[in-house]
Amino acid sequence: MDKPYTRQELLVIAVARQIKDGDNALLGIGLPTIAGAVAKHNHAPRARLMMESGIADFDPVVPPMHIADACCTEGYSYAIDLFGMFTSITFAGYLDKAVLGVGQIDKYGNLNSSYMVSPDGKPERITGAGGAPEFISYAKETILTLKSGEFVEKLDYFTSPGYLGGGNERDESGIYPKGSGPSILITPRAMFKFDSKTKEMYLSALAPGVSLDKIKSKIPWELKVAQELERFPVPTQEELAFLRKFSPRSCFSTRVSNELLMNTAIEAFSQRAAFLEQTRKHGVIQNAAS
Amino acid sequence: MTQSNSTKVMTTKEAVKRFVHDGDTIITGNYTEALPLSLIFEVIRQEKKEMTLYSQSGNMDAEFLVAGDCISRMVSTFVTKWGGRQGGSMVGRYLKAGKLEIEDYTNFTYNAMLAAGAAGYSYMQVLPAIMDTDVFKKRGFMGANKFGVTTCPFTGKTIPVVPAANPDVCLLHVQRADKYGNAQHWGGLGSTVHACLASKNIIVTCEEIVDHEVIRSAPHHTIVPDFRVSAVIEEPYGCHPMELPGYYGTDLNALSIFMFTNATETGLKDWMEEWVYALPDRSSYIQHYIETYGLPTLEQYRAKPYYSAPTNYGISTKSLWDEQGKSIEMNIDFAEMEKLIVEKGDLVNG
Repeated sequence: MDKPYTRQELLVIAVARQIKDGDNALLGIGLPTIAGAVAKHNHAPRARLMMESGIADFDPVVPPMHIADACCTEGYSYAIDLFGMFTSITFAGYLDKAVLGVGQIDKYGNLNSSYMVSPDGKPERITGAGGAPEFISYAKETILTLKSGEFVEKLDYFTSPGYLGGGNERDESGIYPKGSGPSILITPRAMFKFDSKTKEMYLSALAPGVSLDKIKSKIPWELKVAQELERFPVPTQEELAFLRKFSPRSCFSTRVSNELLMNTAIEAFSQRAAFLEQTRKHGVIQNAAS
Repeated sequence: MTQSNSTKVMTTKEAVKRFVHDGDTIITGNYTEALPLSLIFEVIRQEKKEMTLYSQSGNMDAEFLVAGDCISRMVSTFVTKWGGRQGGSMVGRYLKAGKLEIEDYTNFTYNAMLAAGAAGYSYMQVLPAIMDTDVFKKRGFMGANKFGVTTCPFTGKTIPVVPAANPDVCLLHVQRADKYGNAQHWGGLGSTVHACLASKNIIVTCEEIVDHEVIRSAPHHTIVPDFRVSAVIEEPYGCHPMELPGYYGTDLNALSIFMFTNATETGLKDWMEEWVYALPDRSSYIQHYIETYGLPTLEQYRAKPYYSAPTNYGISTKSLWDEQGKSIEMNIDFAEMEKLIVEKGDLVNG
């Protein structure tokens, strides 16, 4: 009998399926790198996985924590730098896919990862632009993933261009490669694509056990729905086996995953008086619990 | 600037004292991996003030320098939320409190400013799509000088540009260097080379100072040449708790403490009292780490070797005189050649 799988695993595998054999695929940190590793080990052995720090054609053995992580430089084919990654690979037209995470997204696939307006009306720092604006602009195609981000009518800050105001605006501006832009947005609950004429996002697939109303409740505009929904890809046993070995915590929600990590750290280190001493002294236990 | 050939080997304390000044623009040379934390801790201990920090990833480097009250302005592309989704970051806290200003770039446009600075150009073209974003449209303390636009003389197209950046000091940690300052690094490079070469002074800490011959046998690893380097310091564990390929991995023990303490401003500042201010240098930092957590904790993060294939730079001819002392080109020995000089040479004297 098939093993049960989680909603988080469903998302990773669905993203992995977007990476095809032979692709030059730029991966953002986190879920995209994990999905890239799954793709490379299951169906795309000749995909060239890349990170913007200049690490090209790598094969991660453990999930990297940041985009220059040494765990990705033990064996890789092409050591360049960030400037070359954006120019000779991306702008020159050799990047097939960019796989990026989303903070805020609007109906035309434009993104914000810089600032959000807090309830008191002040802009609050999220993370920043990083490499997203240029990758979504010049990759032939961009795969977007959304775990804890949100759909908004209007972005609080315009970090990365999707289809701008929709329609032909992106193609006609003359500064983007023709036909480029986000092709799909994958969340743990649904998939969205962009209408070929209006470039407006529409629902293309529902994950198992998710209702249309549930999706619509998260979206502040009148969401369009494909006439015929596609089937949401379901993980195979092989994909699950690899994912669980490669990145065991990816099976869980961020909250559960962090809890498990913190418990392990506290349990392992509490056997050492020194760790406890440090944590008490600097208020770590209180901070962690708050 | 070209650095003098007098000895550059010194202590971190001396290097920071000589080359880092209040009000300077400093840049983190490394890109997330191998952050130059020994140098950063010393800058904090020496209480440098009112500096502008270029930090591509707004990582631990920025968190410490901001918490140390060294920085009033920052140019960056990213702020890492080390304190978690709720805790946020020291940079975020200082921004909110109005104690820090930030100018936002993207990874590429940030790198392009340094590439221009390194090349000696006054500006560098960047990728046109940036003009559609708020990164281009919204200006912080750089105002009109954040981005510009120009016209390509060949195509007539409008091209966005960034100004050159030339920081006063670059802080860099690498695997190895020689006493002259030739610095070698391998692993994720990011914009490290441009960050170094754009800067007026470069301070290099390295795990090992090696013989000049070691450097000469592997020039493809040299990322900064000696004539650009101001100071060289042998500083084992110079980027701990971050990782350095071939030497050590990320120290998860130290990192969890850092993450947990950085959930609040006082948590991190309190930690820094013990681990930054109360210790004079990196060797006492490591000594304190070993005394606190035990040597096995530190040792478990030591890298297991993975050697690059040796590079064969061998050539066929190393002298134009063969083993018998004959000239390969003229088939005569040295004495015969000197006779010929008298006979056929265009002599100046005698």
